[in-house]
Amino acid sequence: MMQNMILSITKKEIMDNIRNKWIIIITILFASLTLFASYAGSIFSEGWQDLGVTISVMSGLVNFLVTIIALILGYSTIVGEIELGSMNSLLSLPVNRLEIILGKFLGLGAVLTFTILVGFGLAGIVIGINVPNVDYVEYLVFIGTTILIGLVFLNIGILLSCLFKKRSTAMGAAIFVFFLFTIIWQFIVAALLILTASIDIENMTIPDWYFALNFFNPLSCYGSIVSLNVSAVSIGSREFINQIYPSFYNTTNMLIALLIWLIIPLILAYFIFKNKDVQ
Amino acid sequence: MVKKTIMCPKCKNQMTIEGNPGETKYILCSKCKTEGKFFFKDENFSEINKLGNTVIEVKNLTKIYNGIKAVDNVSFNIKQGEVFGFLGPNGAGKTTTIKSILGLIKINQGKIKINDYNIIKEEKKAKKIIGYLPEKVAFYNNLTALQNLYFYAEMKGVSKDECKPLITEFGLIDSLNKKVGKYSKGMTQRLGMIRAILGHPRILILDEPSEGFDPRGKIQVRNKIKELKKQGTSVFISSHNLSEIQEVCDRVGIINRGVLVAEDSVDALSNKLKLKPQMTIELGEINDEIKKSIKEIKEINKIEITENKIDIICDSKTKAKVILAIEKAGGNIINLKTKEPSLEEVFIKYTEASQ
Repeated sequence: MMQNMILSITKKEIMDNIRNKWIIIITILFASLTLFASYAGSIFSEGWQDLGVTISVMSGLVNFLVTIIALILGYSTIVGEIELGSMNSLLSLPVNRLEIILGKFLGLGAVLTFTILVGFGLAGIVIGINVPNVDYVEYLVFIGTTILIGLVFLNIGILLSCLFKKRSTAMGAAIFVFFLFTIIWQFIVAALLILTASIDIENMTIPDWYFALNFFNPLSCYGSIVSLNVSAVSIGSREFINQIYPSFYNTTNMLIALLIWLIIPLILAYFIFKNKDVQ
Repeated sequence: MVKKTIMCPKCKNQMTIEGNPGETKYILCSKCKTEGKFFFKDENFSEINKLGNTVIEVKNLTKIYNGIKAVDNVSFNIKQGEVFGFLGPNGAGKTTTIKSILGLIKINQGKIKINDYNIIKEEKKAKKIIGYLPEKVAFYNNLTALQNLYFYAEMKGVSKDECKPLITEFGLIDSLNKKVGKYSKGMTQRLGMIRAILGHPRILILDEPSEGFDPRGKIQVRNKIKELKKQGTSVFISSHNLSEIQEVCDRVGIINRGVLVAEDSVDALSNKLKLKPQMTIELGEINDEIKKSIKEIKEINKIEITENKIDIICDSKTKAKVILAIEKAGGNIINLKTKEPSLEEVFIKYTEASQ
């Protein structure tokens, strides 16, 4: 019974959101840009570099576009329905709030995954045509991690949607979250390094806490996983990486951090929604 | 699933239909194409919910917003097959009470039971038998009317086949595949009514059901309520439209400033307030003798005489005395009208009294 309810909400969310004009526009933009990046990357460079150029351009796109798509999908899903009035009717049905949250997460997650697969799928086709001997396993790792980071931001969006009473406030918070993790974070980290005078330029050493800070920004975790696992964008050999990074800075820990980022906002969203008055 | 053999009332064609107890099946005669519907009786439903059983029980309900009591210690019961009108001025606490009954808001104090199920602890079981039309009807605007209804049917565990006949009944068949975002307010309201009655709920909660309907639509809603009542559905209506409430409700509850100030049938409330009927007598001519003889009747509460009309407020027994007095005085009665105390008067008296 519970699964049926979740499935019905998932289906409804997919049907409703694939018709959302903003999602359509950003998906087309995302697909066009990845297509351009893959095409440009594969025709202007040579050999293995092709995928490297493509993936590094794509990582930049992920930081902005996937984050935006995920936040757009998430921020209004609860508060938007409450404001519209449809949440009243939904909650009058034999469904509980956990099923609604899970159904929405799965439905919106499916739309987001589809968007990412369309964008990267098109890019994959172009790379496949233009570049010989592409390591598709690494490309799949890249796509998988991108889906994960998308879902993390989707859940942050859902959390904001449960947290605020007005759609406009939730949107403002989503914009803040976007800038915080994409731009402001880098300034904060840089400022901390300067203020603590922690960089030893002569010996080229960076303090461990700098690497630990990555765990607190899902986009940093994402970037780290990509750079640690996709050789095309890696900063050096595995031995070199092991030398400069502290031992805790590894794929497993970064993945665990991303999974925590994925689960915690959704759990918080549920508890806030559970105790929320639907006006 | 139950099988029934039925006969078309027009061409006498025999047909076998299948349906679940409590389900209304819409039928099209294969021979003469006559449309009709068949209601599969729910034996359990009638056993558990015999007329008179309490289906909504609200006990000491209190809801506080920012330190202010929006609903203050409200208690009432609604019985199976009863139509209960819930009245009150704007901001009196009507919608808060409804939302509490549906578990949409957390209450500060009290207990709400739907068919003996606690709305908080057993919310799914309780909501399974409720149909709800909110004050602000909203749907998923990117989806068509049919897609929306299919979603609600799925959530209610109702056959999707029930949707189209209801859409036809409420005159939306031509807009079936139109996105709800492009619907007018009236159309959305009709769709909201369809959603509420989809699956033949045992309890129907309607918050301002006439809002947005044209006169024809209002009549249709009223008739639907009467039809559902006959089938044993309990209806809880919150409305500003007092004449509508008076027409369809068995009992009313009046809430003012969060407090339930009255709860009974309209007649009983009128009696409690000692409201009396108003009689208007039209005469060919009113002479001094008629005026004098009427004024001599002490039981009359209020009298107003114009050119050829006398308006009198008195109890039923005095009415006859008045008519006799006029006739004795040689009056020629052309017309006589009696107006019973209206819900409007009851409403105003109760809300005034608790100001």
